[in-house]
Amino acid sequence: MPQTQIQPINKILIANRGEIAIRILRACKELGIKTVAVYSEADKNSQHAQLADEAIHIGAASPQESYLNIEKIIGAAKQTDADAVHPGYGFLSENASFALAVESAGLKFIGPSADSIRAMGDKAESKIRMKKAGVPTVPGFEGLESESDFKKAAKEIGYPVLIKASAGGGGKGMRIVEEEAGLGEAIQSAAREALNSFGDSRLLVEKYIPNAHHIEFQVFGDQHGHLVHLFERECSVQRRHQKIIEETPSPLLTKELRAKMGEAAVNAARAVHYYNAGTIEFIFDPLRSTLREPQGGAFYFLEMNTRLQVEHPVTELTTGLDLVQWQIRVAAGEHFPYQQEQLTQRGHAIECRVYAEDPADRFLPSTGKLLQYIEPRGPGIRVDSGFRAGDEVTHFYDPLLAKLIVHAENKEVAIQKMQAALREFVVHGVVTNIDFMQAVLSHPDFANGKVSTKWVEDKFNWSPPAEPSFESLVAAALADLTIANRKSEIVNEHDPYSPWKIPNGFRN
Amino acid sequence: MKITFDNSTLDLLPQGKGWSVLFEDKSLSVELLRADDRTLELLIDGKRVIAYVSSDNAKRWVTINGQTFVLTKGSGARKSGGGHHHAAGELTAPMPGQVRAVNVSEGDAVTKGQTLLVLEAMKMEIRIQAPMEGVVKSLLVKQGQTVEREQILVEIVDRLES
Repeated sequence: MPQTQIQPINKILIANRGEIAIRILRACKELGIKTVAVYSEADKNSQHAQLADEAIHIGAASPQESYLNIEKIIGAAKQTDADAVHPGYGFLSENASFALAVESAGLKFIGPSADSIRAMGDKAESKIRMKKAGVPTVPGFEGLESESDFKKAAKEIGYPVLIKASAGGGGKGMRIVEEEAGLGEAIQSAAREALNSFGDSRLLVEKYIPNAHHIEFQVFGDQHGHLVHLFERECSVQRRHQKIIEETPSPLLTKELRAKMGEAAVNAARAVHYYNAGTIEFIFDPLRSTLREPQGGAFYFLEMNTRLQVEHPVTELTTGLDLVQWQIRVAAGEHFPYQQEQLTQRGHAIECRVYAEDPADRFLPSTGKLLQYIEPRGPGIRVDSGFRAGDEVTHFYDPLLAKLIVHAENKEVAIQKMQAALREFVVHGVVTNIDFMQAVLSHPDFANGKVSTKWVEDKFNWSPPAEPSFESLVAAALADLTIANRKSEIVNEHDPYSPWKIPNGFRN
Repeated sequence: MKITFDNSTLDLLPQGKGWSVLFEDKSLSVELLRADDRTLELLIDGKRVIAYVSSDNAKRWVTINGQTFVLTKGSGARKSGGGHHHAAGELTAPMPGQVRAVNVSEGDAVTKGQTLLVLEAMKMEIRIQAPMEGVVKSLLVKQGQTVEREQILVEIVDRLES
């Protein structure tokens, strides 16, 4: 039910960890709201727990025991007399039962209604709703039985087509079919894989869009029915279906197309009576929009994320709005005061997600103690992070170390600013993707908006330098001669020239 | 004095205020302008270089002008880069995680491709399989144990060696 009165929020429990917990804590402090952090065994010395007014230990390191444990989180909120819960992103943020449990406990859930979360959580239901609301979805058919039905459907859609498991996820039971000759075999093998993975062999067929871009729209609404979009984010630089670099504005959108997609996003959100912050993700076909149909039309609803996104800062920097503050204020019943015409994009913002992972080895996560951790600073540079030097990066959670966000007058300057900022970012103790992102930023395809979601996988050939630089070897050698921290060193007894055998190797 | 990292050996000879560094067929003069426990300011052939350096056992992390190298101190026997520098039969964890299942015991005969262990990390399941036919010489982990990346899990040897 829409609230007619403002019910002030005095204390918020943040049901998350890491950089996003800290981001939310800061917004609360700015608004004069008290904060409660929850933390797992692995996070007992973490920054998010230390920065909050109160911190409650909720269980073992494994997420199931702590950050995914609804009972313990609600218990912590009651114990500390919190009156609202902010879920952040990931963990329980898109769990309708959690939103419901929070409300049932007499607390405010800072996010959309449980009904909106549920409606958008089911892929089939949401697609049907979007079609009804007039939001373009990827052309395709469901509920087909025989191979001849699939043949007819694929012909109507036009090759290439994508065969997908209805119950699917993670690329399992998915086949790209280029022409009719390959359809029969693709259906059989996809059905087998779907049955093995999900116990459900149902398939759907839809148009396959090569070189697709991922363009999403931020939407925002209050509990009084006012809903706007806050423009797009281009998130096509991905690895393993996960975003690593995001920017706004998208280099592919014209003013007309932006308005059209924004309107579709608002319609999509309205169809599920949405309020608070949300994101409508679109698949975007660059060929159709630029060559054949200058006015566009080549965008399709993919899914809605019914929560704050990791990449929300680029929208904050270009619109000048604090999304987390507004999430809290509309949850308290305030009106969102801006009309669509009053909202504008200013300049260009880019976000790089600094992950503890090894791009040279299948992007596998890297763990360890942060021996050095120095964040860049300067005008137009924002760092949202949850780590300090000396902290441990563990395998229990997402390996996101920090989000580095820059804002500049245009894309060219923003790229230069990001490159300079990344050069100042020093992380020792875990392998990061910093050098990899530098290489992406300096590639002409990134500057020209030619990066599709498969670009990293299919087109981008990157490998770290095969040999260390001479300068790095010299620095390491001289550090060994000068740095006093040698207690844990392994001494090579067979080396008569070992510097460890020379008591005063460093002469000044 | 000689110092080796990965495959590269430097020879540092005291010269004037600094060193003359021999590397491959080059000889360059190096001076140390300033050093604290994490940063070095160097003059390499007259060019000023700021280096961030950290030590972790035999590993050296070096960042110069935004580029980071991980060097391993020691003889040139190890291959640089990639990190897979263990003996053929030593199977290591490709990523940090938890041992979900242990399917073999020490002394067991195994066939090529047989799943020896299952690791789980960040919701991914990774099967550790025998690279060759042989015998489990040593099993270094238990079910439920947390392992670090590149930690040796199990060692397989040829039947003849065992």
